[in-house]
Amino acid sequence: MTAIERRAFVQGAGLGTLAFVVGGAEVLLTPRQAHAERVPLRTLSADQAATLDALGETLVPGAKEAGITQFVDQQISGPPEQALLQARILNVRPPFANFYRAALGAVDAASTKNKGRKFAALSAAEQHDFVGGMRVNTIDGWQGPPSPFVFAVLRSDAVDVVYSTMEGYAALGIPYMPHIAPTQKW
Amino acid sequence: MANEKTANEKIDVVVVGSGASGSTYAAVLAKAGKKVVVLDNGPEWKLTDLISSDIWGRRLKPAGGPILLGGKNPFAYANQGAYAVGGAALHYFAQFPRYLPTDFRMKSEHNRGHDWPIAYEDVAPFYDKVAADIGVSGDAKAEEQWRPPGQPYPMPPMKTFPAGEVWRKGAAATGIHLIPMANGMNSTMFKGRDACIYDGWCAVGCPIGALANPLVTYLGEARKAGAEVRGLSNVTRVLTNAAGTRATGVEYYDANKERQVQEASVVVLAAWSAQNPRILLNSATDKHPKGLANANDLVGKFMMTHHIAGTWALFDDDITPHLGTVGAQFMSYDRYAKTSYPGAFGSSFIAAGTSHKTSDYALARGDLFGPELAAFMKRAARGLTHLTIFGEDLPQLENRIELVSDKDEYGLPMARLIHSFDGDAVALWNANFEQGVKIAKATDAKESWPGKGPVMPTAHLHGGAIMGTDPSNSVTNSYGQTHEVANLFMAGPCIFPTEGASNPTYTIFATALRGAEHLAAHWGSVAG
Repeated sequence: MTAIERRAFVQGAGLGTLAFVVGGAEVLLTPRQAHAERVPLRTLSADQAATLDALGETLVPGAKEAGITQFVDQQISGPPEQALLQARILNVRPPFANFYRAALGAVDAASTKNKGRKFAALSAAEQHDFVGGMRVNTIDGWQGPPSPFVFAVLRSDAVDVVYSTMEGYAALGIPYMPHIAPTQKW
Repeated sequence: MANEKTANEKIDVVVVGSGASGSTYAAVLAKAGKKVVVLDNGPEWKLTDLISSDIWGRRLKPAGGPILLGGKNPFAYANQGAYAVGGAALHYFAQFPRYLPTDFRMKSEHNRGHDWPIAYEDVAPFYDKVAADIGVSGDAKAEEQWRPPGQPYPMPPMKTFPAGEVWRKGAAATGIHLIPMANGMNSTMFKGRDACIYDGWCAVGCPIGALANPLVTYLGEARKAGAEVRGLSNVTRVLTNAAGTRATGVEYYDANKERQVQEASVVVLAAWSAQNPRILLNSATDKHPKGLANANDLVGKFMMTHHIAGTWALFDDDITPHLGTVGAQFMSYDRYAKTSYPGAFGSSFIAAGTSHKTSDYALARGDLFGPELAAFMKRAARGLTHLTIFGEDLPQLENRIELVSDKDEYGLPMARLIHSFDGDAVALWNANFEQGVKIAKATDAKESWPGKGPVMPTAHLHGGAIMGTDPSNSVTNSYGQTHEVANLFMAGPCIFPTEGASNPTYTIFATALRGAEHLAAHWGSVAG
């Protein structure tokens, strides 16, 4: 990360936003704003993003619009010591991008093997069943990080963007009561 | 590989690590007039950096290496560790129960584990001193049903809230006496630091100073007394003289990845139970071929961690789960006797009623997803609460820190923390779940369930350089001074020969204060 990027990141931390690259310039946005503005991804491919959108939405309704893919992509594109991902707490070994690539690849490979289509192309009911199988490690032919662990990590990411923001607290009727408020509801 | 740089001016003492134990040593020695430098691998967060957010709070924790994990029950290293000046005490829960007399004499009383080379009575005055120094809220008199009398705490207990109070009925019905938790938090203004406002953001860093983190307590005092703190400083080795008899300082890499040497008359390693042994093992020389202070192969051995049996309860009433502190509202030692449960061995410590945030709600039912999770989150936001029972892990030689072939960015071997619970620990964990569910079912909760999955959750890390009576059974004496190198001290839970079951940080502060005062009082004979 360059000095300019580092300053932007730190500034973003103070504001409660993240630094995204738009048209070669860095702007501070929440993941929801980044999703709405279709900010280009830095690390994940279009296929991986489609899988993560669908997986996030299956895990926690609202995760796609809340920007789960933009959040994860932004987080795995910088130094691991600045990452805000739950993967960090769950002892995933950096670089975190390796874990997400392996996890999303495993989802699509197993989905294709068992259903003939990638995860994003499955029906909502099929996606729900597939994720249920991940949780209890019963996906036939799964190859990659253990599926219950992938379930837990990606579920945490989805919970982060939907429920761990000021908007998420408001939606649940919980007073946020910050000492130091993340602005822009992040 | 990093660049080379010249050595720094020699000082009196270099302290490696700025958490609970390191900050205590730094304060005592700086106030004694010593020139002190504190090195920490984490950055210096200001209080104003401590954003009230579970997501942003993760910045205070490690991201990968240098400790890899192994064994049947790997330790939750990243969740418990720190990437911050102030160490894990910047994000800890600040529950301040103390160890009990039985913890210091397990071998004598049960022919299991180890005895400490000191008794409860040797540590007790330092519990009182720490309370007076940094502030503890609690009801000492109520604790005296389980421990010898001591000084009252300087502040009354913290306020309680419905999410804690609802446990009283269930506990009373099952013979468990709940009393106010002792907390390293301000129930009233203390030494110019504000009282707690009970918003529950303690574990992401308390920016108002109501929680006794090192930045506002011992580390702040150390700085005022002239100690220098250098963040983003990764210590790789303790350096020794040609004869191998004296520590001469430490090697570290600074924020620019440049190699530095800090010479000092005394070295204090206070970098937690995983990194401390790693540094000793990486400090091998021809005079210490197995690592520093490791002639008897005890460095990195007897790693211990508490197991957690958590019980969730869900009420229809609004019990305001978001209010309070992350430190629990109530505690009990009623299952602390090592033989409390038939068929199990070890102490158990009960803590009830902590504030919760949305990520906690989601964790309470880790099996749910989709619309079912969304529905549960709404109910949890009004009615969820938790009771924790920590259980003791006995010291086992095979639970250890060992160097591995993987290297860190400075070319030094990383380490693996290998940990497995034995049959006693598993039996105790199961018994604690039964106890927790029994209590929960005797409350007015609509639903209750054990937070039990395939993984045994862990908290707190101890051992790795244990204290004892002589080099045959230990790495250090009771002050943390290594048997092999007189001017090298170990600080923190690494020196604990057994781990009890209560949260360790109060005892970390107390033993560090005891060691630091001893060092200051015997400076001439130690520093040479």
